[in-house]
Amino acid sequence: MIRAIGAFALSVIRLVGALGLVLARTVLHLPSLDRRELMRSIVLFGYRSLPLALMAAMLIGSTVVLQAGVYAVKFGARLYTGWAAGYALTREFGPLLLGLVMAARIGARNAAELALLNINGQIEGLRGISLDPFRLLVAPRVVGSAIAITALGSVTFLVAVAFEAISSYFSLGLPLRVFFNSFDEMLRVGDLIGGLAKTLAFGLAIALVSTVAGLRARGGAVGVGQASASAVVLSCAAIFSLDLLLTPFLTRLFG
Amino acid sequence: MKVDGFDRGDNVRRVVTTRVDQGAVRLACEGVTVRFGDVEALSDVTVSVQAGEQVVVTGQAASGKTTWLKCLAGLQRPTAGRVLWGDDDVATLTIEERRRRQSAFGMVFQSDALFDSMTVLENVLLPLTKRAVPRAEAMERADEVLRRVGLEAARHKRPEDLSGGMKKRAGVARAIVSQPSVLLADDPFAGLDPVTERSIGELLLEVSRGRTLVAAVPDPVPSLPLARVLRFEAGRLIGGGA
Amino acid sequence: MSALLRIFGAPAILFARTITAIRRDGVNGRATMVQFVEIGSKSSLLIVAGLAFFGAVMVTIAWAQARKYTGNITVVGPAYFELMVREFAPLLVAILAASRVGASTSAELAAMSVNEQLEALELCSADPISELVTPRLLASLIALPALMVIGTIAATASASFVVTYVFGADGSSFTDARFVDPVDIVCALVKALMCGAFIPLAAAARGLKAKGGAPAVGEAVTAAVVDASMGCLLIDFVVAAAFLLIGV
Repeated sequence: MIRAIGAFALSVIRLVGALGLVLARTVLHLPSLDRRELMRSIVLFGYRSLPLALMAAMLIGSTVVLQAGVYAVKFGARLYTGWAAGYALTREFGPLLLGLVMAARIGARNAAELALLNINGQIEGLRGISLDPFRLLVAPRVVGSAIAITALGSVTFLVAVAFEAISSYFSLGLPLRVFFNSFDEMLRVGDLIGGLAKTLAFGLAIALVSTVAGLRARGGAVGVGQASASAVVLSCAAIFSLDLLLTPFLTRLFG
Repeated sequence: MKVDGFDRGDNVRRVVTTRVDQGAVRLACEGVTVRFGDVEALSDVTVSVQAGEQVVVTGQAASGKTTWLKCLAGLQRPTAGRVLWGDDDVATLTIEERRRRQSAFGMVFQSDALFDSMTVLENVLLPLTKRAVPRAEAMERADEVLRRVGLEAARHKRPEDLSGGMKKRAGVARAIVSQPSVLLADDPFAGLDPVTERSIGELLLEVSRGRTLVAAVPDPVPSLPLARVLRFEAGRLIGGGA
Repeated sequence: MSALLRIFGAPAILFARTITAIRRDGVNGRATMVQFVEIGSKSSLLIVAGLAFFGAVMVTIAWAQARKYTGNITVVGPAYFELMVREFAPLLVAILAASRVGASTSAELAAMSVNEQLEALELCSADPISELVTPRLLASLIALPALMVIGTIAATASASFVVTYVFGADGSSFTDARFVDPVDIVCALVKALMCGAFIPLAAAARGLKAKGGAPAVGEAVTAAVVDASMGCLLIDFVVAAAFLLIGV
């Protein structure tokens, strides 16, 4: 039992250490990022994920109205629905659900690619010809996917708000004008910034966790599979933990 | 750790009644083409292997040898053309009938295809337990083939603890343990030292005496001195087809 | 439309093949049990922790909303409990299970496929669907409702804990079941069963098709987790809408 706890603690420390190392080396390489690889990751992780993000936005928008509708249906506070829906979307459901879907899409992808490079010895090979694999492969991916996810987040919020309005029109009979009025009057820029800050944090977490999982991969086809599977799972865990840490902080900061 | 996690036991309802098929039959391909996406792995291959014939297939990597072997075993459905077992088109058989006839095949796979969650012994026993061979008889036959491939000492090890050559030999053991009337061997000598190669070659020839043997190797090897040599190149049969 | 076909087409075909395989070969109880333990032991920690965190965050958000106009968070407690049982817990548990179970199932099966183990199984007179897909499908069908129950409990417990000890209000209102009726539970159960069937099928469909070495395994896992999580979002949405339409 004690040994199991010790082993668990050790593996957590090792993981956090690896994450810190990747983050630090990425920051160090910020001035000298490989542009082409950065563009490639933004296109691959951002643009190619757009259809998925839009579909998720649609479903998130419709789901959030259910939450906000509590106030409208049970307490007759129909005028507030727009605000409540917008607040819940930008502050919690938007970043959380988008983060979870992107953990699957981007986390698995990134880990699988790096695991392959690693297993095929290409990362060692770069070192062998004295090129820094971090500058060439890792740092651009981390920065690229963080940028991509934040950009996807803003698009997702816009689309989700539109679907919120539509679905509250159909499910609560709320006129679009009333929805957007309360939205307009009560939702502040701070709410949007708070939501995007969360999205950025989730994006960074996904990028770092999946990079570490990919670089740790060993041993053939089984190793690649395990790396991408653990990237997805650890990303989800990281997202929930960050959510818990960030929410009280952001609530205090932006109200 | 369990990786593949399926049951190695014999408590599945299905019991294969005929243990080994009636005997070797003629295997034939008629105009067989196999495409994976845009890649044509086999192009219009027409060739037959007589019952009891022993054949070597040569060709470089990705020349179509593996795909052709899998077509013969009914493991790969052709995009066009027919594969015949005797007079029957494999594509027209019901799945039960195909499975029953497939029990006459044994195959050594290129990647060994050992099950990671089982020991060497359990891997070798699998074709027997799945065909409801009595436990005592199965153990006896497994012991015998493990001794023949020189793996008695490694019988309780898992594939991950074996060297490349030992995995290959375990794959050979599993392929021959059911005494198949058609033995297919895909690159059976990869990663073996010359001594082991010769002994595995002798073993393959011995267990397939009077039966069909089709062995795929990159180049003709002295360990398998067979008269008929088929040659594949870029998915086409370029020699030995007549 | 083509996206829908891509997500649901292959799992639907595999479902039909699995049913045929069950009728032909029966069910291996022991293998199913092994898979059930596998899913449970791998997913329960993630789901309990994730949902507990979510419960805490949700009441923090609700607290901010409530301060704006109702003034008192406890009055929304019972309504939140209903939402948790009917909407949030099923949605989040399904997405987490899609990631966890979807990723590991597709990784295992894809690795077996590229290592020719599926073909080896066939030549051992064993059917890959009966051996590999049937136990995973049945295990996940049983496991998802169970995971949903423990997830809901974790979220509710942490929500009422946070309300009581962090906000100093009456946390028991978040465990007040006055709005929960059997229809809510049926709705949650339908979602759990549908996602429970869909996740292993989507993952297995991608995994069994993987051909050609390690890159194919990476592709299969990536595609499988995306299919599984999108499919669960859609299933959730359609079931919720269907229950809303029939007016219960």
